[in-house]
Amino acid sequence: MRISKGGLLVIMAFLTPLIVELRTVLSWFGIRLSVVETGALGLALIVAVLIWAMWPSNGDTEAKLA
Amino acid sequence: MAMRNAYIDQFPEEARVIRAALWSSFLALMIGGTLGLIQGLHRTNVLRFIPSQDYYTVLTAHGVLLVITFTIFFLVGIFTWAVTTSLDRGVKDIRFTWGWYAMMSLGTLLVGVSILGGVVDQIPMNADVLYTFYSPFQAHPAFYVGFVLFVVGTWLAGFDWFRTWWAWKKDNPDERIPLPTFMALTTMLFWYLSSIGVAISILAFLLPWSLGIIDSVNPLLTRTLFWFFGHPVVYFWLMPAYMLWYTMLPKLSGGKLFSDPLARVVFVLFLILSTPVGIHHQYLDPGIAEGFKFIAMTNTMFLLLPSLLTAFTVVASMEHGARQRGGEGYLSWLKALPWRDPAFTGMALAGLMFAAGGFSGMINAGLSINYLVHNSWWVVGHFHLTVGTAVALTFMAASYWFIPQLTGKEIWNRSLGLVQVVLWFIGMTFMSNAMHRAGLFGIPRRTAEPQYEGFSFDPAVGTVAEIDAQVALGAALLTLSVYLFITNMVLTTIGGSTSDAIPDNTYAGTLSGPEDSPAIIDNLKLWTSIAVVLVIIAYSLPLASIIDAGGLFGPGIDPWKPSVVVDPSLVLESVRGVMP
Ligand code: HEM
Ligand SMILES: [Cu+2]
Repeated sequence: MRISKGGLLVIMAFLTPLIVELRTVLSWFGIRLSVVETGALGLALIVAVLIWAMWPSNGDTEAKLA
Repeated sequence: MAMRNAYIDQFPEEARVIRAALWSSFLALMIGGTLGLIQGLHRTNVLRFIPSQDYYTVLTAHGVLLVITFTIFFLVGIFTWAVTTSLDRGVKDIRFTWGWYAMMSLGTLLVGVSILGGVVDQIPMNADVLYTFYSPFQAHPAFYVGFVLFVVGTWLAGFDWFRTWWAWKKDNPDERIPLPTFMALTTMLFWYLSSIGVAISILAFLLPWSLGIIDSVNPLLTRTLFWFFGHPVVYFWLMPAYMLWYTMLPKLSGGKLFSDPLARVVFVLFLILSTPVGIHHQYLDPGIAEGFKFIAMTNTMFLLLPSLLTAFTVVASMEHGARQRGGEGYLSWLKALPWRDPAFTGMALAGLMFAAGGFSGMINAGLSINYLVHNSWWVVGHFHLTVGTAVALTFMAASYWFIPQLTGKEIWNRSLGLVQVVLWFIGMTFMSNAMHRAGLFGIPRRTAEPQYEGFSFDPAVGTVAEIDAQVALGAALLTLSVYLFITNMVLTTIGGSTSDAIPDNTYAGTLSGPEDSPAIIDNLKLWTSIAVVLVIIAYSLPLASIIDAGGLFGPGIDPWKPSVVVDPSLVLESVRGVMP
């Protein structure tokens, strides 16, 4: 783990506003996502963050923090 | 027994009063939150199990219970902690302390029962006046009497803290006021100043009108007097949260407060600027000249300053704490913060949401752009970020630290606490964001059925149904979060086991202490006088012109011949008429 479990939980929570409003932002560029597409994109983001968090960090120094 | 030094060990008597106050606060949160869910589901037409006619009774109870009862009971508890802890002495007379608590409770009871009368036939009362309760809405006299009792109770609480401080000052004539006490006292000073407005409004106009002693009131005058109080009250909710951010967050982060002088300046600015801005809630009121509204807007924009200072100081203190814990790098220090601690994480998330609320607040505050969002759901979205999260989530988070201090027991389940605060953040993201968006395309607030025939709202992105779904989902998550919180607190208090591992009752030290600021900062009399002068400048002309145009008791009504003076038996008659 790269970060603590608590930290991971907070990052996940923080993704919510990003995902919700990403749709609005994209619409300014003429990209209109449906709810399902937004959900899929959100899921992809969550998986990406999970992979990043689980990936063993080199040296393992950071994992000791927090 | 090990040498435990929690608050309950230092001040067992005070701890009991504070516990009572916090529990009153939690009860209001639980009922109010449940009503919030009813509203959210009803308006979005997901589930309607109350008749729409009863919607305003529910909405009044939600507003009053959450922004008056929940917040202020928590405030009096936490300020009592702050004053006694930082002065290191108990209150002068604990019976007096119980006295103001009892008075506030009695007031709450009267207000609560009169609102409940709106849906319970057996109670011959009615107070569907919303938490802003200005005319033309009229409530049963018990509502106003209860409200006055509650406010006078807070005045006495303030007196309790002031006299504890006076006693301390006698023993420590040359010392600076400890920071938490300084914060409590400056907050109380603007509370005294501003609640005069609501006291006059109730005692001189609304109560006599509700009793039938006078026939009419000047609606614009009661509105203006309400907002004279109604804006400062938002800072009354916020100041205990600020106090916790300044004195607890740095400590929980593992560090010290960046600057004590800056914190004092912030509270002085709030003392000076909280009151002369209330007219910014009346940008759309006819009968107040644009120039007065412009003055209110200018003062309001100045009020951004102390909040920006707070954001800077608190984040700097958190970074200091993280680096003490071994955090490094430009942003990697964030990882070193104690994210597993619900008290820390809840307060940090509350602060983050407050930033968003601050931005939508700037839109509200602009005289011209306010027309776009006025009375729409945007505003409701805004204050669920500010009082509904910055304040409410901070209070819930802080309880994970305070309840062990006050009971000597460990939190029943800390991981659940973490889930609870995170759930609030997610739920509020959905609900508040959707409300803001709804307001932008014109969905009104305070309506049971915001759908109209032959007309449909036109969202910029997505559909109304999606917005409604987000509100309903958010409301459900928030209510779940409230119940998780209450469960944790109940099981901690009744089920938890007494522990010796409760941390000592302390608050954050400072990197730069009070000695780094000039002594004049502690001159409460000076700042209060400036506050009074600013209020006179901002309000005397508008009030004079409102009274001039609409009369004290309504247009064309001669204030000097109220019917009661002529015949006292009429008063008795009218009092009996409204008795249950
Ligand atoms: C379970 C959490 C909550 C839910 C689901 C919720 C839901 C709602 C909804 C849907 C409305 C809009 C009603 C309308 O415009 O017709 C509302 C109004 C309001 N809420 Fe909440 N709320 C919650 C928590 C809070 C908290 C914690 C506070 C403050 C501490 C708060 C303060 C208010 C106020 C002052 C109003 C306006 C009342 C009025 O217009 O008179 N709410 N709430
Ligand atoms: Cu305001």
